[in-house]
Amino acid sequence: MLQRISYAIRETIASFRRNITLSLAAVITSAVSLLLVGTTFLIQRSFDNLLVQWRGDVGMIVFVRPDVAPDALQFIEQNLKSQPNVIDVSKLKYLDKAASYEEAKRVFAGDPTTLSLLSVDTIPSQFKVVPKTTDPALVRSLADQYRSLPGVEGVSLAEDEFQVISTLSSFVRAVTIGMSLVLLAVAVVLIWNTIRTAIFARRREIEVMKLVGATDWFIRVPFILEGLVQGLLGAVVSCGGLWLLNRAWEHGISGFKPGTGVSALVVPGGYVTGVMFALLAIGAVAGGVGSGVASSKFLDV
Amino acid sequence: MIRLENVSKMYGNETLAVRDASFDIAKGEFVFLVGPSGSGKSTLLRLMNRQERPERGNVWVAGRNINEMSSGQVPFLRRSMGNVFQDYKLLPNKTVFENVAFALEVIGKPKHVIAQQVPQVLELVGLAGKEDRFPHQLSGGEQQRVSIARAFVNRPLILLADEPTGNLDPATGEGIMGLLDAINRTGTTIVMATHDHRVVNAMRRRVIQLDRGVIVRDQERGVYE
Repeated sequence: MLQRISYAIRETIASFRRNITLSLAAVITSAVSLLLVGTTFLIQRSFDNLLVQWRGDVGMIVFVRPDVAPDALQFIEQNLKSQPNVIDVSKLKYLDKAASYEEAKRVFAGDPTTLSLLSVDTIPSQFKVVPKTTDPALVRSLADQYRSLPGVEGVSLAEDEFQVISTLSSFVRAVTIGMSLVLLAVAVVLIWNTIRTAIFARRREIEVMKLVGATDWFIRVPFILEGLVQGLLGAVVSCGGLWLLNRAWEHGISGFKPGTGVSALVVPGGYVTGVMFALLAIGAVAGGVGSGVASSKFLDV
Repeated sequence: MIRLENVSKMYGNETLAVRDASFDIAKGEFVFLVGPSGSGKSTLLRLMNRQERPERGNVWVAGRNINEMSSGQVPFLRRSMGNVFQDYKLLPNKTVFENVAFALEVIGKPKHVIAQQVPQVLELVGLAGKEDRFPHQLSGGEQQRVSIARAFVNRPLILLADEPTGNLDPATGEGIMGLLDAINRTGTTIVMATHDHRVVNAMRRRVIQLDRGVIVRDQERGVYE
């Protein structure tokens, strides 16, 4: 048994060397496709983070005109407080003009042009509303109701922001998943072709092996192992790439000012490790499938 | 040891390679299959180790119907048979020793068995001292001896030889026939396809003659004609 294992390993290494260019092509292709698969996972995860953070926060903001009369302001507040079933009154927060301007300085930190158009006198003050209900339609009808109140400049809903992000996120997901599937298929075909070539290069040897009574599995295993190793090597390279990519990503995000919500895009390290294990598994399976199909198809003598 | 019952083999839809062939080969026999090129000699040999399967009829080897064997059992059938070819089929990147050892290695024989049996069989075929040569460093006759050593190293019950003297000059061919005769005397059944008149006439063994896939003669102690 030990002898058979050492035979299989020896043959695998020898064959890999003999076919070095094709083997490298297969490894690189699987690395690129798996890197894309891993990136898809990470992008998805960071979008989810972003959505989760926003969801936990304010659901609706009522902007009040800067020149509002005091009794109109009071009327708006009373109106908001009269809906305790829909609005969490205890979390209702009023930001006056000074506070709103401070907030704007943060929101538009990366956008000085917009900020220069605002001043403490011209900025709208705002009510931050945390809805109690989970029914978006109810919140929306409430928003329409507030829009018509005197002194209200506008109402924006977090849900609208979510929609932009979730549309973006599903678009990015569709593109990256599509691309990684195509590349993964290319990797499998390349591994298949590499193994086919390896089998062709050794057809005399295989013929002799069959005639002296080597079993099909004995002949097949080194080839399957070779494909498996190619997929696995590709996965290892892609894990390295993913680690570098994630580090660069974290570094880029740390450049943003805190509180802008961007920091939510950082993916926790444990999740990255999980993705790497998944990539190793996918790589091994893809390589095994490619070489398994090739070796069962081309070893019939 | 080998029995064919009304065996027919087609290639494609048109060509009948073997038609209704029946014969019995006893243990320890030495049988020549003779006939012109394309008469079906090689096909008969390929039917005996299940490289081919017949459209009709049965092939029995050592008491088993090999057409009904599952493909998983075929390797074990082949371990009881050695094969020798006109073109030797040696692996050019392996030495004489490695070529012979390869046959044992791929059926999982342990190292110490290989180390013991390979030199023995090389001694038998007259290649002692040439273990480390590569095939291209050997003459045609020597290469055929390596091929016979590889076929015989596992002490098979049956040796199938397809034109083993086809590429050799008469004197060298005679040496190879002497070797096959010696192997036959150890009790190994030998079936040899050939169209070499001289070896058949010199050996005076059983001759099965084929013509366009049909057996036209089966004669004890025959000559080529």
